[in-house]
Amino acid sequence: MIKTSANTPKIQVCHLGKQFNGKVVLDDISLEVARGESMVVIGLSGTGKSVLMKCILGLLKPDSGQILVDGEDWSTLDETEQLERMRRIGMVFQNSALFDSLPVWQNVAFALLRRGKSNKQARSSASEILDLVGLPGIEDMMPSELSGGMVKRVGLARAICHKPEMVFYDEPLSGLDPVMSDAITKLMRRLHEEFCVTSVTIAHNMQLARNFGDRIAMLLDGRIYRILTPNELDSCQDPVVRQFVDGRAEGPIRVLEG
Amino acid sequence: MKVLNIIGAWFENLLNHSGLYAMMLIQVLRKLPKPPWYPRQILIQAEQVGVQSLPVVLLTALFTGMVLALQSYVGFHRFGAESMVSMVVSLSMLRELGPVLVALMVAGRVGAQFAAELGTMRVSQQVDALWTLSTDPFRYLVTPRVIAVTMMLPLLVALADIVGIGGGCLISVALLGETPSVYLHNSIHFLTLNDFYSGIIKAMVFGSVIGIIGCTEGFHCSGGAQGVGQATTRAMVISAMSILVLDYILTAWLFQ
Repeated sequence: MIKTSANTPKIQVCHLGKQFNGKVVLDDISLEVARGESMVVIGLSGTGKSVLMKCILGLLKPDSGQILVDGEDWSTLDETEQLERMRRIGMVFQNSALFDSLPVWQNVAFALLRRGKSNKQARSSASEILDLVGLPGIEDMMPSELSGGMVKRVGLARAICHKPEMVFYDEPLSGLDPVMSDAITKLMRRLHEEFCVTSVTIAHNMQLARNFGDRIAMLLDGRIYRILTPNELDSCQDPVVRQFVDGRAEGPIRVLEG
Repeated sequence: MKVLNIIGAWFENLLNHSGLYAMMLIQVLRKLPKPPWYPRQILIQAEQVGVQSLPVVLLTALFTGMVLALQSYVGFHRFGAESMVSMVVSLSMLRELGPVLVALMVAGRVGAQFAAELGTMRVSQQVDALWTLSTDPFRYLVTPRVIAVTMMLPLLVALADIVGIGGGCLISVALLGETPSVYLHNSIHFLTLNDFYSGIIKAMVFGSVIGIIGCTEGFHCSGGAQGVGQATTRAMVISAMSILVLDYILTAWLFQ
């Protein structure tokens, strides 16, 4: 039995490394996320944010390092045990990844249905969560009939329907207009507090990082470059951080050759 | 040198894919004995594979039986052995044309469908989503499909056998002046149960080949729309080739 105390970090990533065909994507990443905290991971495209998240979720096997959740090493578990642990997490994908052969309510209640809940129970849980994300009455629609903002919210509903302890977001605002982005950010914040979850978010959107993150980790070249609070984000004078936060092509990070 | 490189790359690719198919087969066999089995998924797939393939399969069988009767009549008529037509039709339908043609049709329809469906799910992260919803994507997507096509193909072949023999009978009676009772008697009289079984066993092997190849191509798909397109084409071409090669091997080794 693993002992956990109130101050054990919820998620602890220790010296994580991952290569693809000899190309180092994650190079010694260490990161701690406290219970109930919202951690936002920012960084240029291709710096390994998604790979980091996939490693934590068990979708990729890290080459080295450990992933401790409540003090238990998830990276050494076998497949069945990992699947069992997945009940404790919820994941919101970049493009929502809704199952397009299933109606909305079956998407939302997917985990409950697989766990042997009756159709009636699962459907009423789905309706409850859909109300919560502001989409009542769309239970029987198909994902292809929904607008972009609705798809995001259904994805969110699916991730939290089984009451997870941790929620992971992979660029939850991509492809949304500014108004809808703000609405979704507020919704995420509300759910984060209402469900008392620990959140890890991959973001490019600085607005999201400021409003949703308790702490913000910046990834650069497969390492954690800095960990900042939203306030520090604006006051930090580090040229690399500034370049990223202000969104400029010129600066210490070289994005264009020549 | 360049030619050697191309041949080498092609060969490596081939080995790589055969390895994937073998691993897929091993994984299916390893995961099969333990639950969950997702019976609902098996039923849905059985309906897709079996019921929805019926029109194309039965039409193929009917016309194959008919053309076989016509062609063999031409041959046998030259030395006055027209009564052998029925036997040739039934024997070749049961042992060879039933399983092979049905399998080729199903490979085109179902193998391609599996690859496209799973490939799209893979590139749109729906496969990853299954995992994060504590559902083993392999058990939920692959195993039911492989089971469904392995079970449904023999049933389709059995129906195709009947329709094919019926087609032969139709031509013999309508065009060649045979009486139905004599035709059917001749058809069945010379057959052994082994003829029927050999076709059914072939069908089961072909069914699992179609399932494994289609699912592997889809499940290991990458590279967006183009990747899905390539996976679909490969699933169809490789299953069709494998069916023809395996047909020879099965015929030569098992059913002499």
